[in-house]
Amino acid sequence: MTAQAAPTHRSLYRLDTRTKRRNAAEKRFRLYGLAAVGFGVLALVVLLSSVLAQGVGAFRQTFVVMDVMLDEGVLDKSGTRDPEVMKKVTTIGYGKLLQTSLNAELAEKGFAVEGMSAKDVGALISKEAPAQLRDRVLADPDLVGQTIRFKAYANGRIDGYFKGRVSLQSAELDSNVTPEQLRLADTLRAAGIMELSFNPGFIFGPDASELRPEAAGLGVAILGSAYMMLIVLALALPLGVATSIYLEEFAPRNKWTDLIEVNIANLAAVPSIVFGILGLAVFINFAGLPQSSPLVGGLVLTLMTLPTIIIATRAALKAVPPSIKDAALGIGASKMQTVFHHVLPLAMPGILTGTIIGLAQALGETAPLLLIGMVAFVREYPAAPPEGFGDPAAALPVQVYNFTQRADPAFIERASGAIIVLMVFLLAMNLLAIILRRRFERRW
Amino acid sequence: MNDMTLTERAVQASDIKIEARGVQVHYGASHALRDVDVDILGKTVTAFIGPSGCGKSTFLRCLNRMNDTIDICRVGGKILLDGEDIYDRKVDPVQLRAKVGMVFQKPNPFPKSIFDNVAYGPKIHGLTRSRSELEGIVEDSLRKAALWNEVKDRLDAPGTGLSGGQQQRLCIARAIATSPEVLLMDEPCSALDPIATAQVEELIDELRANFSVVIVTHSMQQAARVSQRTAFFHLGSLVEYGETGQIFTNPSDPRTESYITGRIG
Repeated sequence: MTAQAAPTHRSLYRLDTRTKRRNAAEKRFRLYGLAAVGFGVLALVVLLSSVLAQGVGAFRQTFVVMDVMLDEGVLDKSGTRDPEVMKKVTTIGYGKLLQTSLNAELAEKGFAVEGMSAKDVGALISKEAPAQLRDRVLADPDLVGQTIRFKAYANGRIDGYFKGRVSLQSAELDSNVTPEQLRLADTLRAAGIMELSFNPGFIFGPDASELRPEAAGLGVAILGSAYMMLIVLALALPLGVATSIYLEEFAPRNKWTDLIEVNIANLAAVPSIVFGILGLAVFINFAGLPQSSPLVGGLVLTLMTLPTIIIATRAALKAVPPSIKDAALGIGASKMQTVFHHVLPLAMPGILTGTIIGLAQALGETAPLLLIGMVAFVREYPAAPPEGFGDPAAALPVQVYNFTQRADPAFIERASGAIIVLMVFLLAMNLLAIILRRRFERRW
Repeated sequence: MNDMTLTERAVQASDIKIEARGVQVHYGASHALRDVDVDILGKTVTAFIGPSGCGKSTFLRCLNRMNDTIDICRVGGKILLDGEDIYDRKVDPVQLRAKVGMVFQKPNPFPKSIFDNVAYGPKIHGLTRSRSELEGIVEDSLRKAALWNEVKDRLDAPGTGLSGGQQQRLCIARAIATSPEVLLMDEPCSALDPIATAQVEELIDELRANFSVVIVTHSMQQAARVSQRTAFFHLGSLVEYGETGQIFTNPSDPRTESYITGRIG
């Protein structure tokens, strides 16, 4: 009611104090944001670079390359080339063969090995190597009697010496390796008998014992994780999408659907180890499914992933403009036709993103798998699906955990290497999500 | 005033397409529409006018049971299409909507090609037996919607890439592709510029030859231009219904007069 004061003239060129304060606040806020982003990026860089720095070494391994004479007198006294008979020769026999071969190689090249027994020289070779040679011979008995070029793992300490984990000083205190052996290794490397090269065994080979880090690989774990992802995808995607469509498009709104909705939201927040206990109680103890199997792991991870997929799918369905539904219903499409012809295709990118995020989460999940026995030491590859789903297997994240539990420092490198493999898979899945999303979006 | 509209109707009861008697609509606790009696004539454009929230769109959506999609909506009374109660238990709304097509306020083409937009209705209703027959229907519908000449060379282009007016005509083509008997239009021009509006209005007039058209509009000029009969809704009830000329020049209810002269609304 009071008359308004006449406006006083103020120059636009001069900022008043209020505007200055507001501008300062805005600037401060932008700086906070930048600082937060910077901190996040820095943490990521530190994390990635430490993992990469420690883990890249796992993909390269020291090998001893030499000619091995597969002496018939040692390997197949009967001369029948029958693998059943040849199995009587244990790895000890093959170990001796490798030892003599390496000593012979040294003698031939004229390297002095004074002060070292033939056994000390043979210890440069991994204890896993005889088993590998034996497998190769048993698979192809005709090799017996020939001289073959064999690439054997070097002992883990020797490998550590070339990678900087072991030094001449530390070898003095180490009962597993002597400085003389390390010096010999230097000579052999210079002579080309020892080499550091890419190690496919780390990716494709099975795990090895705590004492043979050089031979430990991720093959079984990768296969186990892949099997579990297949099961999760085959179960969680149809179940989750069907649930979401029903709840979002068909279900009446009442107390029951409200209750279901609240429970789905709560399930998403349940700690994963609880799902592990549930899996142990229901799938293993009650249903009697095999322990350590990708089947049980996949079922548990499916339960864990379902809420994620349902929530993402419902959000994607909700985001479809109602005008499209009206249009379809308006020309006489049934509810199901409306959903499957119009709503679902539009929601597909969101559903795929949600599914892949759920799968990625499942791929990295460790805790529930520990409870259902996937932490076991498994050297045998599971069979091809579907039988293989019931065979014992490891899983990638659990393998990382296993590696970190072992005493030999060589496993630090292998744990980091396993993390790199896990991250590569996650990146590949995210890439796939992006590609699929693009593909589906382009259709419109 | 109800007596007035009733007598008015008695005169023209010759060719009644839709007969609504005592229609009530409740949204939860609110009574959105009370006691509406309307007869929609065949091959006529009927306009529903009235201020926002008066219930005209609600009533329109009753005519093809689009209100079924709203959980809290309850519809009472009787609506007969060719003498059959569309709210009868035996009636499947899907079949009803094939007979009573609808065009919405905002152009809402499917994010598919122009061809697929128009072909969708005939496809799901199984109206064609061959591809060439389908192509015939698509061309025919696009011609009737006055869009054929503009899009005949790019039927594979996405329908969402057209201009607003073209999109709305595409939606009309889509609605008439199933050969409905009644076409409901809910403010079809409110998102269009004057030129596109003129095109759509012209189209509505042409559609009258084959369909019974019901149009909800906020523009009284539009109602006067395109319709033969006009119904005025106010606060959830039907105030007056009759010949468009009579409603606009000589309304019998004082509320109708206030509205069309711009005093309420």
